[in-house]
Amino acid sequence: MASIATSLRAARPVAMRFAPRAAPMARLAMPFRSFSSSRMSLARKYTKDHEWIDLSADRKSGVIGISEYAAEQLGDVVYVELPPAGEWTDQGDSIGAVESVKSASDINAPIRCKVTHTNSLLEEKPATINQVPEDDSAGGGWIVKVEVDEEGAAQFDELLDAEAYKAFTSE
Amino acid sequence: MRIPQLSRPRATARLPTIISPRHPASSSSSASTSRFSYLTASASHPSHKTQIYLSKSTDPFLNLSVEHRLLQITPPDSTVLTLYVNAPSIIFGRNQNPWLQVNLNRLAQIAQQPSSVGWTDSPIQLVRRRSGGGAVFHDAGNVNFSVICPPERFDRDKHAEMVVRALKALGRPNTRVNERHDIVMDVASKAAADMETYKISGSAYKLTRLRSLHHGTCLLNSPNLTSISGLLRSPALGYIDARGVDSVRSPVRNIDLDNQEFQDAVVREFENMYGDVDFRGEFDDTALEVDEVQKGYRELKSKSWIWGQTPKFTFSTHPTEDDPRPRPELPFDLNMHLSARHGVIEDMSIKHSDGAAINGLDASVFQGTSVWEIMNWTESLNRAGLGDSVSKEAGEWLNGMFGAEYARMSPKEM
Repeated sequence: MASIATSLRAARPVAMRFAPRAAPMARLAMPFRSFSSSRMSLARKYTKDHEWIDLSADRKSGVIGISEYAAEQLGDVVYVELPPAGEWTDQGDSIGAVESVKSASDINAPIRCKVTHTNSLLEEKPATINQVPEDDSAGGGWIVKVEVDEEGAAQFDELLDAEAYKAFTSE
Repeated sequence: MRIPQLSRPRATARLPTIISPRHPASSSSSASTSRFSYLTASASHPSHKTQIYLSKSTDPFLNLSVEHRLLQITPPDSTVLTLYVNAPSIIFGRNQNPWLQVNLNRLAQIAQQPSSVGWTDSPIQLVRRRSGGGAVFHDAGNVNFSVICPPERFDRDKHAEMVVRALKALGRPNTRVNERHDIVMDVASKAAADMETYKISGSAYKLTRLRSLHHGTCLLNSPNLTSISGLLRSPALGYIDARGVDSVRSPVRNIDLDNQEFQDAVVREFENMYGDVDFRGEFDDTALEVDEVQKGYRELKSKSWIWGQTPKFTFSTHPTEDDPRPRPELPFDLNMHLSARHGVIEDMSIKHSDGAAINGLDASVFQGTSVWEIMNWTESLNRAGLGDSVSKEAGEWLNGMFGAEYARMSPKEM
């Protein structure tokens, strides 16, 4: 787990070439709590189903979680159902679920991907999803780390950037 | 105690107001088995925006599997009401721990020696549902309502309010939806000037990308109410520390209505909300002929679903750092601790109660064992190297804690 986290972090400076306005170090240092900035506008994208995904610079791996907006809408998360690693999931299919207020809500794959790591912190502390849903660092509320193929990478390009997602949720 | 309702025919056996469409081939074919395949074509028809189903089956696994299939195949913009009644069963939430929520010993007793515990109904089935929430008891005096709708229109109270309108129309003005989205009934207290509040209906939800499901119970005339709280109280309560979802205990009461009357009233309120009904159908056990229903049914009935989907938990005979609750004194000199993930033991330690190691003991033999497959803890402790007499004492105690009697039952008895 730690080695993957390190390699993803190491990849970030490279990502800056693609996302010149991004400020990845700042985002790693503190919980990501606002939509207002345009940082990571290329590397992080959102779905209309309220998942976010960070794609690595080489477009071969990613981190997935649910948006702040979704976390607020869900109410207190009492359990996170994590998927088994190692299976390819098509875009839109379920890769786990969160339970809050008697509701089991599916988390959907934002793009085609294969789960490589699950955030085991969520097993012990599901409320992390409410506190820092968009934090992809250790201690954050990210849900899974995934491998991405070409099809998934192409789907990524079609997702909403932070600004478009913000506009979508304030409709 | 003899309960008069039990001798009555199950309300699900007759559903006079809703006429199921005739299967085109049913008159010529010998069996009505393809009826639900016909229904699934209608269920997924894009023009069927408002649909109502009544189940003639009392199999909880079947009713939940058909409901789940309807969640998957009905048109994204449709609204679908399903009503069903289950044979006696405990239905617990997607992310709950059956060892913690259920008194499994009592389930085994009810199945094996019903008269010894005064049980006159059929054995109680244990079901992990796909929706969230807590554990509930179902029987013939409880009608379940389920509404599937588009996520944009989902609201936790909307269809509980629909059911309250139905109850009010049937002369139950003292019903309302409370802050937990349950339906409760306020009753004047004999002793005090205050009102007493009883829960008559609980709800749970499953939200998928395209569809939202709200299903709820409604206690109308359950003959088994006095047994419910004991069934949902585990002997292991003070020893298990579980991730996942707990149940909230509420006093319950029958609202004293006939199943048929209630179903008709709910259908009327649903029609008031959604207008013309495009499709009405009913289904029975032949729904299992549909491959996808069969698949979901098998999954729900599998031990790897019922037990193996249990969130991580620990069981400790003594206070631990993570679970410091004081424990009652044990009749044997052992300090046992196990942790399980997906119901499979990851780690087990057995020591003297003062923490000293036990000579010749290798508790690692438990690693990788599914808790639900341990039919006799005495044998398992013995195999780990524990002496005969202490194995027997502690083993019998653990058998009680984990409901080994229930684990030993054959599928037929369940």
